[in-house]
Amino acid sequence: MEDMAQMDRAMSTQHDIKISAKGVQVYYGDNHAIKDVNVEIDDKTVTAFIGPSGCGKSTFLRCINRMNDTIDIARVVGDIRIDGEDIYDPKVDPVQLRAKVGMVFQKPNPFPKSIYDNVAYGPKIHGLARNKADLDEIVEKSLRKAALWNEAKDRLDSPGTGLSGGQQQRLCIARAIATAPEVLLMDEPCSALDPIATAQVEELIDELRQSYSVVIVTHSMQQAARVSQKTAFFHLGNLVEYDDTDKIFTNPHDPRTESYISGRIG
Amino acid sequence: MKNSLLVSDARTKKRNAAEARFKAYGLSAIVVAMLALAVLLTSVLTNGLSSFQQTFIALPIELSEDRVDKQGNRDPAEMAKTTTIGYAPLLRAAIVAEVERQGLTTALSDKDLGELISKEAAATVRDRVLANPDLVGQTVTFDLLASGRIDGYFKGRVTMESAALDGNTSPEALMIAQSLADAGVIDTKFNWNFFTAPDASVQRPEAAGLGVAILGSLYMMLVVLFLALPIGVASSIYLEEFAPKNRITDIIEVNISNLAAVPSIVYGILGLAIFINFMEFNQSSPLVGGLVLTLMTLPTIIISTRAALKSVPPSIRDAALGVGASKMQSVFHHVLPLAAPGILTGTIIGLAQALGETAPLLLIGMVAFVREYPAAYTPEAGLFGEASTALPVQVFNWTQRSDPAFVERASGAIITLLVFLLIMNAVAIYLRRRFERRW
Repeated sequence: MEDMAQMDRAMSTQHDIKISAKGVQVYYGDNHAIKDVNVEIDDKTVTAFIGPSGCGKSTFLRCINRMNDTIDIARVVGDIRIDGEDIYDPKVDPVQLRAKVGMVFQKPNPFPKSIYDNVAYGPKIHGLARNKADLDEIVEKSLRKAALWNEAKDRLDSPGTGLSGGQQQRLCIARAIATAPEVLLMDEPCSALDPIATAQVEELIDELRQSYSVVIVTHSMQQAARVSQKTAFFHLGNLVEYDDTDKIFTNPHDPRTESYISGRIG
Repeated sequence: MKNSLLVSDARTKKRNAAEARFKAYGLSAIVVAMLALAVLLTSVLTNGLSSFQQTFIALPIELSEDRVDKQGNRDPAEMAKTTTIGYAPLLRAAIVAEVERQGLTTALSDKDLGELISKEAAATVRDRVLANPDLVGQTVTFDLLASGRIDGYFKGRVTMESAALDGNTSPEALMIAQSLADAGVIDTKFNWNFFTAPDASVQRPEAAGLGVAILGSLYMMLVVLFLALPIGVASSIYLEEFAPKNRITDIIEVNISNLAAVPSIVYGILGLAIFINFMEFNQSSPLVGGLVLTLMTLPTIIISTRAALKSVPPSIRDAALGVGASKMQSVFHHVLPLAAPGILTGTIIGLAQALGETAPLLLIGMVAFVREYPAAYTPEAGLFGEASTALPVQVFNWTQRSDPAFVERASGAIITLLVFLLIMNAVAIYLRRRFERRW
């Protein structure tokens, strides 16, 4: 079953739909944070969510791997499907879902453990490695993909918290891809980084597009323009416009989008 | 008019004065606290340090067969029929002979000379003989406890003037004791008995020790550690990480904080009602004491454990959940190790509080006079079921006794208790430093 799904993905064009959301509403207590969002996110594409602070883009991102479950007062209504499967189905275990949908957070948050253990933790708890050699290989592959291997290979035993901010964030990306996810969610991954580290992470995101569907929340419109193929503009909990990145930035359809990208609101 | 930066204006002067006053208040508060501590420590140490020394009389005692083994068959069961009263004349004869050998003269009667030796000494000799019947018929040199007044004389507590007014001793006795000390017969040594011997009756303070109290406190701490730590940590983890935040958990939380403020004697009444009257455990036993102290310590451990769990940044939980760890895995692999130093510190502080607690133990009968070590194990009572006492209760007990020698003992017990508490706090600080991590 899974093999067939993989074959399907390999054969089809790269604009296969990975995530589809229909009529998604999110409530924090009495606060209606997301209002009827409908969106289809392509596989092997970088999709950027932009919009002013508090517009609900991070909230919507956290719906995709059900991180909102950890917030007691959050309530999600509607239908979100990954590969056609409803992730809010009662039969779905969020733990399994999160192994498939990796997440990188706004602030680099490595575990206070060694670099090796940070990356190896996910594969260990999901039983992805049969032995130590397997695990070593996964760790090396993940760190290489996250462009951290050359800097970290001689200090795998030193604590991950001792790295610089940019390195920590790349370590978190390595940790997220070590569990072999299909979707990678990034919640403002560069907001705590300097321009050089940001450039490195952006380059990395572009490479990750080869293997994953990447969804990135960002405050920087330049960043969205640089890294993404598709862009969604959120405003006050509504998805205002969703289209090819080029189109959004050159010829937006909605006047609110135009105001935002030209700096008049937000 | 232009303001110069070189002259401070009235408002600045006022603010600076207020700051200086505040600093002075703080400093004086600390000075008062330090003075109080210094006075406390000086008084306890001056009263109590001498209890770690004890005066002994070295006497060769002739263990004649017709006195200690009337049957002459060296059977310990038969020999045990000779009580300590049978041994007392041997001791008296030995000291009279020793005084003669040293060429000393005294106005004291033989009986008064015999009273230089502690009433406890006969039992010491008897125990040695029963343990080793081959000693019978030999002359063996024993280090015997000097009586409380003689001991007090060498520690400066008893003087010639006070002895003249004292029915239990006399200036002559002190003088002969001084001569014996000059001859090397009476000597002061480190008092190991203080840590190993059980309590002794009011008439023999020189023999009283903390052995049973230390053991009882140790047993209780074991009960507290093995009950309060797992229950406290498990319930804090549940409340902090798993329980839904609703009205019921709010009520539980408020009540745990209230329990931490409940006077400890209330736990004693509870223990008396539940563990002794209802569950019918032995009263005065370390088991009941430990259970009562567990109830008392639980809120402390729960509150400090929850604080330690709360201080772990939520980003760590997000990170663990984000890579697909279950709630339980995120708690046990990441949150708990980071909270461990705080939990350990809280537990040790809770244990230290329990170690020094007196009031609830009085109510469950641990104030009893315990002359014998609790049996290591008896089928009826079990390891923790025998009557025992505890360090703070022993202090309470000794301070109530009339003989001034017990003031010294009580202060010595306080020093011992403080040393244990200092050790526990030092361990807590060490653990916190050792396992503290940065994130």
